[in-house]
Amino acid sequence: MAVLRPQDQLPGLNTATILLVGTEDALLQQLADSMLKEDCASDLKVHLAQSLPLPSNVTRPRIDLIVFVVNLHSKYSLQNVEESLRHVDAAFFLGKVGFLATGAGRDSHCSVHRNTVLRLAQAYRSPLLFCDLEVDSFRVSMAQRLVRMLQVCAGHVPGVSALNLLSLMGSSENPSAEGL
Amino acid sequence: MSVSNQDIDPDSTTGVEDVTDGKEELIKHCEEMWKDMEECQNKLSLVGTETLTESNAQLSLLIMQMKCLTAELSQWQKETPEILPLNEEFLVSLGKEEFQKLRHDLELVLSTIQSKNEKLKEDLEREQLWLDEQQQVLESLMVLHSELKDQIVTVSESRIFNELKTKLHDIKEYKEKLLLALSEFLEDHFPLPDRNVKKKKKNTQESTIQLITLHEILEILINRLFDVPHDPYVKISDSFWPPYIELLLRNGIALRHPEDPTRIRLEAFHQ
Repeated sequence: MAVLRPQDQLPGLNTATILLVGTEDALLQQLADSMLKEDCASDLKVHLAQSLPLPSNVTRPRIDLIVFVVNLHSKYSLQNVEESLRHVDAAFFLGKVGFLATGAGRDSHCSVHRNTVLRLAQAYRSPLLFCDLEVDSFRVSMAQRLVRMLQVCAGHVPGVSALNLLSLMGSSENPSAEGL
Repeated sequence: MSVSNQDIDPDSTTGVEDVTDGKEELIKHCEEMWKDMEECQNKLSLVGTETLTESNAQLSLLIMQMKCLTAELSQWQKETPEILPLNEEFLVSLGKEEFQKLRHDLELVLSTIQSKNEKLKEDLEREQLWLDEQQQVLESLMVLHSELKDQIVTVSESRIFNELKTKLHDIKEYKEKLLLALSEFLEDHFPLPDRNVKKKKKNTQESTIQLITLHEILEILINRLFDVPHDPYVKISDSFWPPYIELLLRNGIALRHPEDPTRIRLEAFHQ
């Protein structure tokens, strides 16, 4: 199981699973807690990982959405994500991957430029979300958003597929990316 | 769902059989769908994995996306929406479920509305009570106000007038008393010089002049001061006995005119 594939298992009944990948353990944990507090018809599961590939000796449900969290204050965080991306099957990028950049609020602390992350997300044709996870209210609204995305990616929203959502998000989410 | 189904027609045994038939039918349907999924899954697992690097990702992903979107599109176009078998039992039980959900929701709404109503009623009562109290306060204040008003009228018309009258009277009496006391004092202590004695000492010219008392001098000065306040000076006539004038000036009771030494005025004690 070196490479993570979107359809390597049958889906669990009414289960939606998200995988958060990033070096900021505390922030990921807080985000996961916020997500689990959200009111959702599906059975939510949140998995956290520092990096990919995931260990192969553990059984885990089918992963419906991967979110790579990049902390703009740390170059290592970006490198880690770039490394991890190599272990993701191409089929995941059909709407089941998202990038989340945190820490853009404090510009002076940033060691990674926003455009770098923007270019990365653009290269993988995946949406890029900005959110300061350290701010409670921002994190809660981001958790809400991720839960909605996850429901679509898990196929729990009739009539909308992950790819469908991606093509909708791509045009509205980062119009500036077209120029890069 | 089976419980609600049995509620529909608890007396007939055929109804129960229909229900179990329907349930089996649905389960069978689901099993078929699951089998389809498993097949698809097996096919998918045969497809090899493909990873991307940042440099080659864009183009291949775009091609993949295009393929998938086209496939989805054609799928949507081909697909006719599948509905559950139109079994009467299904429809009835579904309807019943729906109704129960609705009933539950409506009950919730009802209870919230009722509690809200109660709260509003309480609020209303409280406000009413408050209003009554305020009105009572207002009424008593009005009564007080009118009473005070009456008092003000009586006070202004009669009492103050009377008070002022008595005050005026008192003061007048006091003044009389003071004047009397002053004149007595003056008569006793400041008599006119004995003419007989004077005649012997002074020359005849002086003796012909009719001198006036200190009392009269003061009266002249006082009257002048109050009758012509802008020019209170009095010319010293020969009928003023000079020692008395000196006395008044020395004791600061009278003042000399700063430019004309023949005129004096009373010190303005009243100012």
